[in-house]
Amino acid sequence: MKLITLLAASISLLPVAAMAESKGTVEGIHHWVSESEVNALKVITDKLASKGYTWQDSAVGGLSGANALQALRTRLAAGNPPTTMQFLGYEGLDWAKEGVLRSLNDLYAKNGWDKALAPQLLAFVKSDDTFISLPINMHRQNWVWANKAVFDKAGIAEPKSWDELIAAGDKLKAAGVVPLAIGDEPWQILEVFEAIVTDVNGTEFYKKAVIDLDEAALSSDQMVDAFDKLRKVRGLVDDGFTGRDWAVATGMVASGKAGMQIMGDWAKGEFLAKGMKPGEDFLCFPTPAATANFKFIIDAFGVFNNDDPAVIAAQDAWAESIMDPEVQKNFNKIKGSIPARSDVSVEDFDACAKRSFADREAAVASGNMVGGLTEGFAAPPQFSGVFSDVVGKFFVTDMSSKDAVQALVDGIKNAR
Amino acid sequence: MRSTLSLKDRFSRWLPRLVLSPSLVAIIVGVYLFIAWTGWISLSSSKMVPKYDFVGLEQYIRLWSTPRWETAVANLFVFTVLFLAITIAIGLLIAILLDQQIRAEGFLRAVYLYPMALSFIVTGTAWKWILNPDLGIEKVVNDLGWTGFVFDWITRPEYAIYCVVIAAVWQSTGFAMAIFLAGLRGIDTSIIKAAQIEGASLPRIYLNIIVPMLRPAFLSVIVLLSYISIKSFDLVLALTGGGPGNATEMPSTFMFSATFRRNQMGVGAASAMMMLMTVAAIIIPYLYSELKEARNEH
Repeated sequence: MKLITLLAASISLLPVAAMAESKGTVEGIHHWVSESEVNALKVITDKLASKGYTWQDSAVGGLSGANALQALRTRLAAGNPPTTMQFLGYEGLDWAKEGVLRSLNDLYAKNGWDKALAPQLLAFVKSDDTFISLPINMHRQNWVWANKAVFDKAGIAEPKSWDELIAAGDKLKAAGVVPLAIGDEPWQILEVFEAIVTDVNGTEFYKKAVIDLDEAALSSDQMVDAFDKLRKVRGLVDDGFTGRDWAVATGMVASGKAGMQIMGDWAKGEFLAKGMKPGEDFLCFPTPAATANFKFIIDAFGVFNNDDPAVIAAQDAWAESIMDPEVQKNFNKIKGSIPARSDVSVEDFDACAKRSFADREAAVASGNMVGGLTEGFAAPPQFSGVFSDVVGKFFVTDMSSKDAVQALVDGIKNAR
Repeated sequence: MRSTLSLKDRFSRWLPRLVLSPSLVAIIVGVYLFIAWTGWISLSSSKMVPKYDFVGLEQYIRLWSTPRWETAVANLFVFTVLFLAITIAIGLLIAILLDQQIRAEGFLRAVYLYPMALSFIVTGTAWKWILNPDLGIEKVVNDLGWTGFVFDWITRPEYAIYCVVIAAVWQSTGFAMAIFLAGLRGIDTSIIKAAQIEGASLPRIYLNIIVPMLRPAFLSVIVLLSYISIKSFDLVLALTGGGPGNATEMPSTFMFSATFRRNQMGVGAASAMMMLMTVAAIIIPYLYSELKEARNEH
């Protein structure tokens, strides 16, 4: 009897013994579920483990993060938020307004992180005067990915303006290749449209029209002209583009069936996975702009208010893991983006990432760095949805440019 | 009077009510309470999280000024009418044919009923590939030799909704057939014999005698198919993703994207209330007329 009691007592101690190894748990909700994303996340969680905390994963994939946001809403309503949450676009700022996020001012001040981030980025990690999230990476959404063999055969060089790009597309069509690989999902088309708007008219116009939603800018001739150009791009697309996933379109470029794709730098992973090398097998260049600009997208993690000092310590360790320069470097190597911190060198990244880094430095200096509309870093979702609807409808019907601009203006007014 | 009823009788009278009451409470809370909550939210200014203020009919005005919503409503009517009509017609036809005492009836019944076992996501994805001009029917027919054949409805905004109808009809015809078959089996054969003695031809018998006797089956089929039609969120998402553009937008996909992706919870709630009112306007009079007749027959 005594032996049994002793055994039972020692068994019940085991979990305590295991917990004594870890100083605490960090539970996080995010939507990184594909293989490269999971591998990239492991870089951060390994760093967290080395600090003595365990990572509890609550990944909720699907619908580009909409499901994860729903999971968070449920948890917050139940009064049981996770330790940390991945934010896209304005989500962090929205939650900060609800007063559920913990202020990170002390951590930012202690480590000087605010000096390592581009000023335009701060608008998304800072709510009024409070730092509320930690950016891990920076994606760029207006890359042109081209098949080098196809371009060389058709005798096309890197286009320097949108007119040149459209002319290159016509050359590709004559050569019998699909000029532009794209799907009919509104967000894919919106990426092209907002690239046209910014590249042709400059970031000042983009800021007025898309971020400030100024009615005069939205109904201006430049907008009509942007739709005209989009109509020309429509002529560069094959008929089977309905229901095409972005990765399938990337595959078309990689196999040489199509000449180019306009997509963010998450497409780079598809080329690299096929063993293709930048500059030799595939080309990467930003959509041609009169004045170089940089459209950014970031992933940032925020932490929630909590009174428990153990949880606060765990959150501090998580924050330090994210902003660690080594972690930023290794995470982004796997993910395909560049580090959010501007002071992390990209010396051993590939050529496309190096170009992205150089372009960012130039854009920050010249004041031409802006958030991307399609991924929610320009206008809030109720307005970006209007752009998405109008542009998507314009692309697949024969709506006139003037009607599209009118629909845009009406839609924005309605959504206010 | 009360003293003559034993405890056992009283208990057996109350037992059905007792057993049903948990379900009743669950329905009242889970369905009607949340309907009321949605109604309240549709009169508020909720955006990302619920706000319990009162702004009158502002969200409804905003809803009806959205072109996407008008497309969704038009699509719902087109889809529901076509889906119901075609499914009932084909289902009834197959049920009548199966009722003719044929040999492989059990096997054929299973074959027709199988599509119902698939989830709408599977149906939507499979039909997306079948209807794609570069991969599916058009390509197969072109390869077989008819190079002029074109079937690209799914890429055309005006015709994409009919593709959704095709996929939904394929999935649900077996279900309608099963209900009609059960109804047909329940019909007394003596009536048919009497009609045959009177000299009525078989089509005449079916049209004028048997089909009207299937009224209860029609009621079940219409109610259940309408429910599938209103609910058709996953089918639309898998088949066309709401596209091309917004051509196959339905109220359910509109409500989802407004509430959960566009931070317009008030507009989403208003659209949900509109869906409810539409369904109620059709189903309640229909149910009332059917059940009133049933009561009269007693």
